[in-house]
Amino acid sequence: MTRRRFRRAGGPGNAVTAAVTVAALCAGTWLLSDGTGAHPPPQPSAAQAHTGAGDRSAVGSPAPALPPSPPVRVRIPAIDVDAPLTGLGLTSTGSLDVPPADDENLAGWYEAGTTPGERGTAIVAGHVDNADGPAVFYALGALRKGSTVEVDRRDGGVAVFTVDAVEVYDAAAFPDRKVYGAAARPELRVITCGGGWSPTTGYRGNVVVYAHLTGSR
Amino acid sequence: MRRTARLLTGTAGLTGLTGAALAVATAGLLAAPPAYAVESRGPSAGSLEVYPSSVAPGSQVTVNTDACGDDDTAAGDASAVGAGRFTLAPSTHERDAIGQFQVPPGAQPGRYEIVATCAGSGRRMAGDLLVTLTPEAQLVHPRGSVKTGVGGALGTDPVQTAAGVTALAVAAAGGTWLLHRRARGDGI
Repeated sequence: MTRRRFRRAGGPGNAVTAAVTVAALCAGTWLLSDGTGAHPPPQPSAAQAHTGAGDRSAVGSPAPALPPSPPVRVRIPAIDVDAPLTGLGLTSTGSLDVPPADDENLAGWYEAGTTPGERGTAIVAGHVDNADGPAVFYALGALRKGSTVEVDRRDGGVAVFTVDAVEVYDAAAFPDRKVYGAAARPELRVITCGGGWSPTTGYRGNVVVYAHLTGSR
Repeated sequence: MRRTARLLTGTAGLTGLTGAALAVATAGLLAAPPAYAVESRGPSAGSLEVYPSSVAPGSQVTVNTDACGDDDTAAGDASAVGAGRFTLAPSTHERDAIGQFQVPPGAQPGRYEIVATCAGSGRRMAGDLLVTLTPEAQLVHPRGSVKTGVGGALGTDPVQTAAGVTALAVAAAGGTWLLHRRARGDGI
C-alpha cells in the first residue's frame, strides 16, 4: 500500500528509508564493534609513578598518625568510589586475599596489618572487575598524584590520604617490600588488578596507589 | 605511639578479628595488633616514638621525637632492655631527632621503657618497647600480586550487543527493501 504512494512520490520515501538504513548500519556496526571490543580499565601513565626519593612529601604535608581504629569505608571522590570495606586475610601462598567478587561495590583491607591512619602501611584492595563487568576499583588507574582517598574509621573519624604515586606492576615483578613494607609515617596502598589482560593469563599484574595521611576529621 | 602497655585489653580486642587475622595474631598473643576498642591517643607533642613498638630480640629499633626542637640532639637510654645508651640526632624530617639501637639477641620478652633526654632543654621523654618472640605476628606482610579481576570489564556487553544486532537487522531490512524496489524499477 505504501509502495504505491512512494511510487508516485518518488524520492522522499526512498530517501527516508535509505537514511534510516545507513544510520542503522552505522549504529549497528559501532555498537557491535564497541560492545564486543575491549574495554580495558584505565592504566596509570609514567607521569604518575614515583619520581624519586625526593617526592615522598612533595604532595601534601604529612599529618600526625591517628590511633588505631579499623576502617569501615573508603571514598575516592575523583573516581566516584564510595564502598564499604571488609576484612581481608592471606591466602595459603601468602598473598593478600580479595573481597568476594560478586559484590562489585565492595573493597577490603588487610586486617592483620596496620589500620589506615595509624603509623605504618595500611593496605586496601578491591576488584577492577568481576564476571558481570566493572567493579569498585575499575577506574583506580586513572587516579593522579594529589588525589584524595578518604577512609571512614570505626572510631567515627575520617583519615584523609593524598596520593603520592600510581604505579602498575607485572605480577612476576611485584615489589613486595615497596608495596607492603613498613613505613615510618601513616601510609595507604590501594590495590587492584591491571597491567593488561589476556584470555590465558587474565590480568597480568596490579595497579598500586601510594598515598600518605595528610589530614583527619 | 604508646599502646603496648595494654596487653590484656589488646588481647581481648583481638576477639573481634576474624579468620586469617586471628590465626596470625594467635601465633603471638603478646604481639597483639592494636587494641581497637581501647582509647589510644596518637603521638602527642613531646612523646618518644618507638618503631616498631613490637620487636624480636636482636631487632633494630628506631626512636624519634619532635620534643627537642630544631638542631637539638637527645640522649637515649635503652638500658632497660639491655641495649645501653644511644644518641638521637637531628634529622631532615621536620623537627625530629632520630636514633637507633639494637635489642640484644638475648633480651627476654616483655615491656621495656625507653627514655630520651633533650640535650638542650633537659626535657625527658619515654616510650614503650615490646619485645616478643614472634614479633612478626603484627607485621606479616602479604606477598605478591593480588587477584582482583577476571576480565569481565573487557567482555561483551549483552545489552549493547543486542542493540547492535537489532540495528543491523533494521539496516538489512531497509537495504533489502530498497534493493527490492530498485529491482522493480520503482524510482530509485
